[in-house]
Amino acid sequence: MMTSRARTAPPTNAGQNTSTVPVPSGRAKRRGRGSETRLAYIFLAPLLAIFAGFYLWPAVATFLSSFFTWGMLNPWRADQPDTWVPAGIDNYTTTLTSADFWNAALNSVVWLIVFPFLVVVISLALSLLIWEAKKGTGFFRSAIILPMTISLAAVGVIWGFIYNPDPNKGLLNAALKLIGVGNADLNIGPLELHLGRWLSNPGVLHLGGLDVRLTNIMIIIPAVWAFVGFGVITFTAGLTSVPAELVEASKVDGASRWQTIRHVTLPSLRPSIVVVVVISIIFALRTFDIVFVTTGGGPAQDTEVLGLLLWQQAFQFLDSPKAGQAAAIAIIMSFVLIAAAMPFLRKNGNPS
Amino acid sequence: MTITFSRGRRVAALATALIGVAPLAACSGGNPGADASGKPSGEIRVVANWTGVEGQAFQAVVDGFQAKYPGTKVKVDTVPFDQTQTQLAQQFASGNAPDAAVALPSTVRQFSKQGLLMNLDDEWKSWLDQGAYNDSLKSIVMGSDAHADAVYFKGNVNGLIWSTKKTDTTLGLTKAPATWDEFTAALDKANTSSKAFSVGAKDVWVPTQWVDPVMLNVAGVDKYQQLQQGKIGWDDPKIVEAMTVLTGLIDKYWSSDALDTGFSNEVCGWVSGQHAFGNNGAFVNAVVPSCDKNLKPGDDYSFFPLPAYKDQKPAQAVSGDLFIGSKQTKNPATTKAFLDYVGSVDGQSIWAKKGGYIAPNMKVPADVYPTPNDKKAAALWPKDASTQAGYDLDDWIGGEIQVKYRQALDDLIRTKDVASFTKTMTSVDTRSKG
Repeated sequence: MMTSRARTAPPTNAGQNTSTVPVPSGRAKRRGRGSETRLAYIFLAPLLAIFAGFYLWPAVATFLSSFFTWGMLNPWRADQPDTWVPAGIDNYTTTLTSADFWNAALNSVVWLIVFPFLVVVISLALSLLIWEAKKGTGFFRSAIILPMTISLAAVGVIWGFIYNPDPNKGLLNAALKLIGVGNADLNIGPLELHLGRWLSNPGVLHLGGLDVRLTNIMIIIPAVWAFVGFGVITFTAGLTSVPAELVEASKVDGASRWQTIRHVTLPSLRPSIVVVVVISIIFALRTFDIVFVTTGGGPAQDTEVLGLLLWQQAFQFLDSPKAGQAAAIAIIMSFVLIAAAMPFLRKNGNPS
Repeated sequence: MTITFSRGRRVAALATALIGVAPLAACSGGNPGADASGKPSGEIRVVANWTGVEGQAFQAVVDGFQAKYPGTKVKVDTVPFDQTQTQLAQQFASGNAPDAAVALPSTVRQFSKQGLLMNLDDEWKSWLDQGAYNDSLKSIVMGSDAHADAVYFKGNVNGLIWSTKKTDTTLGLTKAPATWDEFTAALDKANTSSKAFSVGAKDVWVPTQWVDPVMLNVAGVDKYQQLQQGKIGWDDPKIVEAMTVLTGLIDKYWSSDALDTGFSNEVCGWVSGQHAFGNNGAFVNAVVPSCDKNLKPGDDYSFFPLPAYKDQKPAQAVSGDLFIGSKQTKNPATTKAFLDYVGSVDGQSIWAKKGGYIAPNMKVPADVYPTPNDKKAAALWPKDASTQAGYDLDDWIGGEIQVKYRQALDDLIRTKDVASFTKTMTSVDTRSKG
């Protein structure tokens, strides 16, 4: 029996086998293409249904619900307009004029800057070291990738032990005690450090009228520890595509190892760097679990990021209720994410 | 590239599409009408938040219920203490509410406002008639719908200053300080190489348990309750005075690593002698063995209540855990029977015998308490808990004010700035402004 592929496949060469393969008329061609399109849609239907049900509708519902006042115990329902409490753009104006929002936004900005930077720099350095190493590359790669397999909640718990203030329990304070430093307070220019108080008050960076508390950095470090494996995998894959002839040519031209890395390897790794930066930005902006486990956003609001503020407004402020504002934050975060990632993807992500 | 399909593939694609879509249609379901008057049987799901020895004690209560009602089964779903309200909100909102759940007064008020809770007026009428509870206790379980919507299951007295006998001997503390001056003199003596108090303020509820007894003793029970009910603000002079006294205690006697230390380490901090004292609730009596299992309650460690501040009349800080029943339950008979059981003498005596627990049911005999510390703590439980004492402010207020109150306390611990704390709380808790 002849398959539909055989019946409809266009000839690859006009002069070839025209007598054996029937050429359909224009109407038949259109009918055939219409049938193919329908079949393609049927084939895609399950995926589209899943996308529409689990991605598109929640996004649309979140956007719509951000214009209403509602809470977890009296949720906004699209199919019950008689229960709607319209808020207009109040959820957006209240959010954008709220000190809580800007505090969380500042903490998220610290994540957005520090996290991708550390991930790219550390994973790139480690990838190059492993690439250049003569022995034990498999071991080092596995050791670096291993933390990636641990959930971030568990990472938070593990680092909670490392940060324990009791030098008999906490690794860092034990090290400080060993070198005889203990809980020292240091002032280095605009940087105020309180060694030993890693998660309560490790220090403050005084930037004129703006004080950046360093507790965020102490949570970013474990997140970087867990995420560097992703960077190493991506950069290692990227290093395999660096043209060997270019590297050889640079050596022949007398380039030093650093010059080869800077002028040959790094430009070739640009697509990998873009991937790691973009994924790190997305991760940094939507971070929640490691903050929740490590500090719960505290002390006070020192480590409260946008994801955590959103969660509090939706799930903890039951008496207010502020789930509409939480939805507004989610929409604002989405726009920021798109705005932050787009330039990278447009300018650097295009292989051409 | 052109993609085409055979008839078989078309059928397969259509089938796959239907399989993909089918579960979406299957998501809706209904709760068949149920009757609470039937005989208890079948399974119910109960959300609780006790772990360790407390979890074992609660399981013993559950076992007691199942033994009393053969054919019933209670599936205990344990959630983290700090996540109880959040998890309940999610479960109720998604239509997957537990049949019964542990709750706090703020949860009862918020959930009852949405009509989500079982009405337990009949149970409370019966208990009041029997003299098992009084109106004062009933007022703590009242919902926003003016009905009794919860059972008072587990009582606790707070503001107890704990220490080991070894520490007392070292400090020459032969009897409990009776006045504020005697109290601070003992603290000064203990404030030598390390600060007097072990404090685990990393757990956000711990500092809130310092506010209650200090505020009750400094501002008095009337002011405390007015603040709790939103009748006065945080800028009331007596409230500011109480917070100033608390800040003085923080500044002078709290361990400097309080914000880095969790509750478990706090308890072990005074048990091990690293610090002299701990300010904990009566339930700590059951937690101490996890730090040192050789210590005997009463003989090796004990407590004294926070003394009166100057000429103020002392008042006891109390707290406790309630149980709510869901209106969405498919097994109301067993759920009501369970709620009735956890409020009964039988149910509460099981945990009381294990220690670290105070039965709110006044018919539970005093001799069930196993250790001298448990007996002493149970004796502090006020007859009129809602007027002679102060119910836990943090557990009472709940919601956004609670979250911001905890954050403001963290900041107070760090900055010792009472004016800033007052300003923050005045802007957060606007109930008194109408």
